[in-house]
Amino acid sequence: MSRAIGIDLGTSNSVAAVIDADGAPRILTTAEGSTTLPSLVWFSPDGPIVGEPAREGLDQNPDLTIFGAKRLLGRRFDHPEIKKLARSLPYELIEAPNGDTWIALSAGKLVSPEEVCALILRELRRMAETKFGEPVNRAVITIPAWYDAGQRQATKDAAQIAGITVMRLLSEPTAAALGYGAHRGDDRKYLVCDLGGGTFDVAAVDVEGGTFEVLATTGDPFLGGDDIDRAVVENLVRDVRTSRGFDISTDSIAVERLRLAAQRVKHELSGTSGANVHVQELVQLPSGKGVEYGRAMRRDELELWSAPLMRRLEPPIKEALARCGRKKEDVQEVLLVGGMTRMPAVRREIGRVTGREPKEIANPEEVVAIGAALEVARLEGTIEGILLIDVVARGLMMSMGQSECETVIAQSAVVPTREHRVFATKLEDQVRIEFDIWEGESPEHGKNRHLGRYAVVDLPQASAGDALVMVEVTVDTDGTIRLGASELVSGDRLQLEQVFHAGLARADVARLARQLAEVS
Amino acid sequence: MAAGRTLHVRCPTWEQVEHFHSRKLRKGKLLSMKVPFPAAVGSAVTLGLELPNGVTIAIDGNVHKSSPIEGESGKTWIELELVGFTDEVIARIKAMAAGIEAPPEATPAPPKADTQPSRTASEELPVDERQLFGQLTTELRRMRQSAVHEVLGVKRDALPDEVRRAWLSLVRRLHPDLVARRKAPAITHLAEELTILANRAYDRLRAALVAETGALSVGSSVKAPPGWLVGFDDLASGERTPVPPIVTTPVAPPRRRSDVASIPPPMASASTAPLTTHGGETFETRAREMLGQGEADNAQEVLAAALVVYPRSRPLRSLYYVASAMAALGKGEVMLATSQLETALAHYEQCSEAARLLEHLRKEDPLDAEAMRRVFR
Repeated sequence: MSRAIGIDLGTSNSVAAVIDADGAPRILTTAEGSTTLPSLVWFSPDGPIVGEPAREGLDQNPDLTIFGAKRLLGRRFDHPEIKKLARSLPYELIEAPNGDTWIALSAGKLVSPEEVCALILRELRRMAETKFGEPVNRAVITIPAWYDAGQRQATKDAAQIAGITVMRLLSEPTAAALGYGAHRGDDRKYLVCDLGGGTFDVAAVDVEGGTFEVLATTGDPFLGGDDIDRAVVENLVRDVRTSRGFDISTDSIAVERLRLAAQRVKHELSGTSGANVHVQELVQLPSGKGVEYGRAMRRDELELWSAPLMRRLEPPIKEALARCGRKKEDVQEVLLVGGMTRMPAVRREIGRVTGREPKEIANPEEVVAIGAALEVARLEGTIEGILLIDVVARGLMMSMGQSECETVIAQSAVVPTREHRVFATKLEDQVRIEFDIWEGESPEHGKNRHLGRYAVVDLPQASAGDALVMVEVTVDTDGTIRLGASELVSGDRLQLEQVFHAGLARADVARLARQLAEVS
Repeated sequence: MAAGRTLHVRCPTWEQVEHFHSRKLRKGKLLSMKVPFPAAVGSAVTLGLELPNGVTIAIDGNVHKSSPIEGESGKTWIELELVGFTDEVIARIKAMAAGIEAPPEATPAPPKADTQPSRTASEELPVDERQLFGQLTTELRRMRQSAVHEVLGVKRDALPDEVRRAWLSLVRRLHPDLVARRKAPAITHLAEELTILANRAYDRLRAALVAETGALSVGSSVKAPPGWLVGFDDLASGERTPVPPIVTTPVAPPRRRSDVASIPPPMASASTAPLTTHGGETFETRAREMLGQGEADNAQEVLAAALVVYPRSRPLRSLYYVASAMAALGKGEVMLATSQLETALAHYEQCSEAARLLEHLRKEDPLDAEAMRRVFR
């Protein structure tokens, strides 16, 4: 049987892990020997390059080098945050025909975020295949707990394109608690704070007799290390302008070089109070002479520049506690996950908000992947006595025509779950009923996310109101949606047609998977 | 005083075991009975529950209440708290019950989902999995016909903690992840279906509790949307008047303490809910016709299907129990029929058929089959 791996598909870095035969977790290493694979894809002239080597692309073709594709997965283009993001990204975002966010490379070539993530997943898969010398085609992939059904489906599609069967989509806070070993300790009420490259997630997780239950999740999907880098870059660009007299804000190559330098300094400043920003060749003068840029940076400067971002840590934590009816005193342990929690200011701020010293994990970047690997072991039956309980992150609603959206599955319903709605025909011999599926909690169409329009077709001939159609909405253990329809009187299954839907079409996913398999 | 007393309860059929569990016990633990000895409150009494397969399970209990000796009979009414009747014991009994019962001839678990593999006949499974398959199928069939509190095995007025614990013990046993390694799609599918039922039951009870007490400690935070608990009829009724579109969202009627945790809601709140007669009555009429022709089994099927659509219809639910009682009477099981009729009345006291049949049974004035059928015409 083929091997399976646990994957933490991160915004800026991805990690793959397995549980060895002796039960110890092992992080897979990249070709460069690193335990984390930068979630970077450079669509170079010689084909896509993934991971560390793609950093060169940030330098050479910033418009062809995609980072943070996870943020775009399953997102609508008209989302205000996406619009904001589009302005600050070196690559171009474009609206796909169905309203999704896609990436415009150049010369009209478009890629979907799913394809970009698929390339990263395929690289992780290759790493595992190199290590084991056997095919790897199954994985547990972690996702933010607040991912809605559209984003979950997009993640699954990305995996399918990469030739990976998803055994389970595991929420990151659960994975973190699992990777931390919470199932081995006493029953506790955890608060997991995960600040990674692009997202901040807070989850109240209860561990009770081996059962992990995420009680409430909140987060800021647009807060992370990248934003701190950006804040630093903005300040450095200003500094370049005042100290050197160049305006480099429109020079994407210079900005990218500055970003890399800023990132290095940010890492250094977690351990020291002062470090140097240094860029060998920031810009080229018309004479061809390079201009070097260097500057000392203190930790308090970094903290000052990132202070507006630090203030955004508090509301999600408070909201998470409020949503499960807890006070901060009820939390028994605060787990810090994600590379950004190494930053002292982050630890301090979370400590202040939660009123307790957060637990430091030795490997905050890897703990989620280890949790995913443990989940693989659990599904394969080598670990027992653990149960993970997940809930629906956003309510599912249904509407017909112009009627208001009505909730079918409530937010926070435990998955897997299923609800149904019954529709009656309005016309004699009506053969088709169309309905819309939405994600959200509002009766107004505009306030919800449109997941798709479906049609029940080939209804039996009957007078108006006599054909009763039962549409069943099932949310499976991964939080993705399945639909089914049947005619109530006869009990016959009915055909469902997709009229419009968000995300990639099934046929496209299959086609892309074939294409990618042929290339490799 | 009466320390170490043992009482025997014999259940010759599994239905009686089920009956003992779901009807005789209050709050799943309390059993009232007459005993031929004086018993002091707090003294230990062991209940030997003899199962149809000959196994006797010893269940520890304490005398919770006791009344004075009744006249010369020398008997005392006591209420036993069966502390030893734990979820594990229940699970064990269920497992034994499922092991005995042959897998039903009817196809199990209609594949609901479009992406699910088509049903796998149990014969295609390896021997060890076939048993599990049969067990899960039986359980699924039982749970499909149960009200939400029965699915979880709690009483209607169970406290949040009890609901939660019952649900947890159920999903810890049934969750599809636990059978994922078996690689048999049929078993994973069954486990998923069972978990869906358990989760739905939990979510409904939980939402009711949250609405009532504002309790947020009942598992994950719930934002109960308006109308969620009202039922599904309202949507269908909205559909029949397409123009103008519905402006007001149906709002759950104000609930009193007594009825929030009980689904279906009592008439008081049901009458304020947007009641439509669409569909539900058609099923009722059809079921009555079938009962009138003595087709109790068919009627039961129709009603079970109708309850999927109208889970809150009290007339349908009570009629379902009446049909079940008719089926039991057909097999001469008067005891079971009586309890089913009582249940029917408990669900819907205006159920005249149940009242009339019960009257005859109580008077030990058995009706012949034809007279019984006439009740429904």
